[in-house]
Amino acid sequence: MKNVLRVLRAEQGWSQAKLADQLGVSRQSVNAIETGKYDPSLPLAFAIARLFSRSIEDVFSDEVALSQAAE
Amino acid sequence: MTQHTYKTARRRFKRANTVLMAIYVIAILGGTYYLKSLEIEPLWLQITIAFLVAAPLCLYLVSMLRYFQETDEYNRMLHLQAFAYGAVFTVSMVFIVGALQMFDVIESFEIFWLGVMFFLAYGISHKVIGGKDCA
Repeated sequence: MKNVLRVLRAEQGWSQAKLADQLGVSRQSVNAIETGKYDPSLPLAFAIARLFSRSIEDVFSDEVALSQAAE
Repeated sequence: MTQHTYKTARRRFKRANTVLMAIYVIAILGGTYYLKSLEIEPLWLQITIAFLVAAPLCLYLVSMLRYFQETDEYNRMLHLQAFAYGAVFTVSMVFIVGALQMFDVIESFEIFWLGVMFFLAYGISHKVIGGKDCA
């Protein structure tokens, strides 16, 4: 799963720690999501989307679906 | 989602960890010193000190499980994976040592060290799995 979390966070001028604080998770979690090491659960993905006032599809995208669409 | 879930969980775990390890160190050092100072070691006192040494370690495991439940999902995943690797290693050691004893290859083994091995395996696994993300 791809995401634009780093871009959205940068737009707000937030650090990973500040975003983590707002989501109630650790900074390591935010880093793991941003680097694609970890895909968040649906509740956390929705919380992230809500925080940035975006839809979940704006923040996260399915790599498999994207590659199938490209073919 | 509750705000500061991760921070609260971490704070609670650290507090429990500090208290339990302090009790463990006092019990093992104080108990050993006190028993050595006696000419005859009463059985009831040996049992009491043994329980005082073991209890904080058992409660530490309970506090670990509580931390796993309360921390954020990414850390929970890292810790549970490490816990599983630690368990696999420790139970494997139990079977290996048990089989060696069964076939009279070794005579006795202090089972207490298996607990220590578990914590060691868990800690190393957590570091390997989490890398820089260990929290």
